[in-house]
Amino acid sequence: MFKKFSSEEVSAQNQVKASVQRKIRQSIAEEYPGLEPVLEDLLPKKSPLIVAKCPNHLNLVLVNNVPLFFNIRDGPYMPTLRLLHQYPNIMKKLQVDRGAIKFVLAGANIMCPGLTSPGGALDDEVEAETPVAIMAEGKQHALAIGFTKMSAKDIRTINKGIGVDNMHYLNDGLWKMERLE
Amino acid sequence: MAEKPQPVQVLYCGVCGLPAEYCEFGPDFEKCKPWLIQNAPDLYPDLLKGAGAGDADKVSDQLQSTSISSDAGSSKPKEEVKRLPGGKIKKKEKQEVIIEKVTRNKRKCITTVKGLDLFGIKLNDASKKLGKKFATGASVVKGPTEKEQIDVQGDIAYDIVEFITDTWPDVPESAIFFIEDGKKVSAS
Repeated sequence: MFKKFSSEEVSAQNQVKASVQRKIRQSIAEEYPGLEPVLEDLLPKKSPLIVAKCPNHLNLVLVNNVPLFFNIRDGPYMPTLRLLHQYPNIMKKLQVDRGAIKFVLAGANIMCPGLTSPGGALDDEVEAETPVAIMAEGKQHALAIGFTKMSAKDIRTINKGIGVDNMHYLNDGLWKMERLE
Repeated sequence: MAEKPQPVQVLYCGVCGLPAEYCEFGPDFEKCKPWLIQNAPDLYPDLLKGAGAGDADKVSDQLQSTSISSDAGSSKPKEEVKRLPGGKIKKKEKQEVIIEKVTRNKRKCITTVKGLDLFGIKLNDASKKLGKKFATGASVVKGPTEKEQIDVQGDIAYDIVEFITDTWPDVPESAIFFIEDGKKVSAS
């Protein structure tokens, strides 16, 4: 999704009003309970929250010009990888095998066999259509953020086709955009 | 989770910007290697082993050669490559300034200047300088192919070459081109 993405794509940046800000905070807090203790540091109530609108119904949540979260249409808010690296435990994790890393880093969606093979790992609690962190065999840090297409059980049983949509991966446009002016 | 989880410090590669462990899948592992050997030797034990004693020289050679090559005038393109996403295509882009005169209203015309940004010149500043020098309006405009260009009111095509080479010594005269009747003509 962010394969080609740069600050030029941002069509409008707005400081959102307090009520919207509250709503965003709330939905982030609901989605990522693990983030709650640090939420105040990440999204300080006082400082202005900026939402940048991009094509394809994409919104970026910025604090101090740093993109922290993004969402599509009215979907769930997902953290950027830089944020996820700092707080790796806020999301459910799926692990792909080593062979898949190359493709994921080129922007491919995550196929089921890569998750079910010996190098992969599945969190059985993962439902369909939830944001997940994609980890890799033998690596400590997440390499992508995905949005599951089917539940973990389905991934195991069907074991074919796209299991997780690749939303945001290392070295894509959003990753390179450390700051947005 | 009562306690505040501390943010994890991730080691990012100084060369490609990825977490160090993903360098091997990065755009240019070879370039990262010297950095990795210095800063994260335990992540890639193979590198050190394979490198061994004899290869250490090679690595330092590599370091030197990269620094040499960057000294030899290629520091600019490097910067440029970093700035633009999707490295492959952008690398090939030639550094040249293209000047075109567009007639607007019979006697009136606009001079467009493309490609100044490729020399690391800030377009905003450049347009201001141009406007001041020629006492006309000059603005930064998004060009047809998502490139930014400077539009200057009036026909300044001939004076502008000197002005560009004077104000920005980085831009050689040989890199400046006119477009006349759809053909590219060198300014010098």
